[in-house]
Amino acid sequence: MKFFSKKSSKKPTRLFFATDLHGSERTFRKFINAGKFYEANVIVMGGDIQGKLLIPIIKEANGHYRATLQGRVEHLASQEELTGLTTRLDTLGFYYKVMEEDEFRALSADQKAVDVLFHEEARKKLGRWVDLAEERLNGTGIKCFVTGGNDDEWDVLSALKREGVQSLIACENEMVMVDDDHSMISVGISTPTPWKTPRETTEEELGKMIEEMAAKVPDMQKAIFNFHDPPKDSTLDTCPMLDWTKDPPTQIVQGGQAVMHGAGSSSVRAAIEKYSPMLGLHGHIHESQSVAKIGRTTCINPGSEYGEGILRGCLVNFVDGEIQGYQMTSG
Amino acid sequence: MATATAKPEVFTRKASGLVRVMSPFSAFVYNILTMGLIFPWTYLWAPGALPGGKLVWGILLAMVIEIPIALVYVWLSTALPRSGGDYVFQSRVFGGGVAFTVVMSGYVIWILQWVALSGWLLSYLGFAPLFLGLGATTGSAAMSGLGIWFTTSTGIIITSILNAFVAALILVSGFKNYVRFQTVMIVGTLLAFLTMLVVLFTANPATSMASIDAFALKIAGAQNFVQTAIDASVAAGVELNPPFSLIATLLVAPIAWTSLQWATYSAQQNGEIKNARSFNSQLFIIVGSLIFTGVLLAILAAALEKAVGTEFLYVAGAGYWLGLDEALISGFYLWPNMIAVALAASPLIVLLIGVGYILNSHQIVHNCYIGMTRVMVAMSLDRLLPEWVSKVDEKRHTPANAHWAYFIASIPVILLYNLYPGWVGLTLGVTFACGYVFVITCLAGSLLPYRAKDVYEASPGAKYKIGNVPLVTILGAIGFVLGSVMVMMFMLYPQLGLTSTLAYIVVFGVLVFSAIWYFIVKNAQKSKGINVDYAFKEIPPE
Repeated sequence: MKFFSKKSSKKPTRLFFATDLHGSERTFRKFINAGKFYEANVIVMGGDIQGKLLIPIIKEANGHYRATLQGRVEHLASQEELTGLTTRLDTLGFYYKVMEEDEFRALSADQKAVDVLFHEEARKKLGRWVDLAEERLNGTGIKCFVTGGNDDEWDVLSALKREGVQSLIACENEMVMVDDDHSMISVGISTPTPWKTPRETTEEELGKMIEEMAAKVPDMQKAIFNFHDPPKDSTLDTCPMLDWTKDPPTQIVQGGQAVMHGAGSSSVRAAIEKYSPMLGLHGHIHESQSVAKIGRTTCINPGSEYGEGILRGCLVNFVDGEIQGYQMTSG
Repeated sequence: MATATAKPEVFTRKASGLVRVMSPFSAFVYNILTMGLIFPWTYLWAPGALPGGKLVWGILLAMVIEIPIALVYVWLSTALPRSGGDYVFQSRVFGGGVAFTVVMSGYVIWILQWVALSGWLLSYLGFAPLFLGLGATTGSAAMSGLGIWFTTSTGIIITSILNAFVAALILVSGFKNYVRFQTVMIVGTLLAFLTMLVVLFTANPATSMASIDAFALKIAGAQNFVQTAIDASVAAGVELNPPFSLIATLLVAPIAWTSLQWATYSAQQNGEIKNARSFNSQLFIIVGSLIFTGVLLAILAAALEKAVGTEFLYVAGAGYWLGLDEALISGFYLWPNMIAVALAASPLIVLLIGVGYILNSHQIVHNCYIGMTRVMVAMSLDRLLPEWVSKVDEKRHTPANAHWAYFIASIPVILLYNLYPGWVGLTLGVTFACGYVFVITCLAGSLLPYRAKDVYEASPGAKYKIGNVPLVTILGAIGFVLGSVMVMMFMLYPQLGLTSTLAYIVVFGVLVFSAIWYFIVKNAQKSKGINVDYAFKEIPPE
């Protein structure tokens, strides 16, 4: 730890990075408040903002409700209990819809209708989040950048790009300036996963996308690569190896033990090694919170604990293309 | 109200997921091994220092006292199911200053002594009885000589350093290598423990004394060892049939707590346990392993008394507590495994018990590294320990620097433990120090519903209340009080070894050092624009 270091005369920029919120209302609200709370000039959301589960809250004939949460059926007799459940669902990042028994049965038999409902609910939530960002950040001077990840669908992400919005910048596939000196490029798509998520591509294609974005960077010394996929074998990408032929994927076990491996992208790693940007911001592997140096580049994956309503993140101070310090947070 | 459902009424979409490696059963076994079925102190320290104390009752009392503490960890683990355990729980409720000071002092620093103890156990309880036993049963003087070498300071120090080095090497080479080896350690330990129970349960004092005499004759050439030891003990003022003493029985509990307090150790690895958020899983892992181990330890005490009789246990205890040479065999204390080896007089049984003790002794040092390196990495990421501590090896996915740092830091403690006069009296200092970590965590659990309301309310334990008071608050208060009594016993009763000036200096010195470290680092980081308190503060969502 460099406890004592030289100070630059320039005021450093403080950037707060969080990722993989997966629809959690509570963690997104914390993210929006993080700029003010941590005195950060810039806040960046690194993708996977869409939720994974939709919980039908089924209205029963007796006026009560039931819903299945974490393998247990919750029976709700009062409005107060219903509110309590929806608050928990928001924290966990699950969408929900109150529906009659008939509607539930019809949906259960129609996957397309379920997909449509998912999209509707996800777009609605993202729309509310844009409103929230506008309400809380407008006039504060805090820049908020949001990109998608492999779990986010294109049409849902389009809800981020709303005309007239000043405070939230949808930055995917864009080169943006985070301050007067430092630029950031963002790529949310990942290499293939065992879950066959909505936005995946091959290493070659990802490499091409990164090359296209890198061409827009004015000064690599002062550049930030905001790539959802972490660099391969960097310690930011350690997770159990999975059997892709199973649905859902299962762990590969050898000698009675799970096999761990680096599940990141070699294209991302190659780009970092080639261009040596100042900073790499990554997510994707929730359990692999880590910081690693690849050449001069400081690469960060703050991990994710959205399900507990905890906003994991990382504060990074930098000036003139140099990282002055970083700090993992658990807000 | 909630009920189980056969087919979940939920809609899902294709999305990536978090995979956890350790099954609840593995975590259950991990806790049992951490609690150390082989820890010997209860069986000699207690009879030596606490005449009139009942071993079985004391062990069961420690188990009962630990139950509310274990339950608090169940609540906390389901509310915050991630790695880091006590450090995470305490920092969430009390903030970084308290969490760092308590966990750094009570865990990271004091558990260095466990590394030393692991080496001592390996040498003294593993290799020494193995070679002494083989020497006695095969008539090999070389084997006996080697066994005796393992009881010398030089033998123990060399064994301890190698033990710590080999464990670091295995863990740095990749966690999967350790996990493969863990299976061997589990099987070996359980086999040794069961063998020992069978040997002890099938013996009786009438025949055991002759077996011990024969063993002492082969090992040390001592004639009439048992009678000589009894006579010497009586001459030293040891009461061989003391009346029942309630206070002595109560004081057995803190010694037995040396094992049973570790029922909660899996909480350090919650981030790697499947279904860590499940209440039932955590109950099985933490409370289940506690009761399983508590009962096994009590059975061992009963077996020991059945094999050699209470009277002889006081003689064996006098050898340990008073250092009576006549009650030692070649300077070797009569630990339970040593007695079992003497009674069995079979090379196969000697081998089974010896190998099991060697494996469990060695496993303890792995537990020290695994738990503490995780805490150190978390502290480093919070910018409270140097940055290089959290560097993870890219190929092997292990925090290699943290492992090597912990290994190097353990060497002076190994030397102090085996060479510095009086330091061995601080053996139970680890129980005391880790005890205050658990006690503060109990307080954190008690206050969780009030200090981290949202985290608590989103947890499965939130529905359990008595009246309007969260059950975890009540259990936390009970655990805090009971744990505090245990911790205070160490500070007040000289029989537990922590009332010397040296003990006070070490205990409070370690605490003060940790607090000072926190404040120096906090201010150094502040000068770089880093506020370490940010690592723990919860952002208000509204």
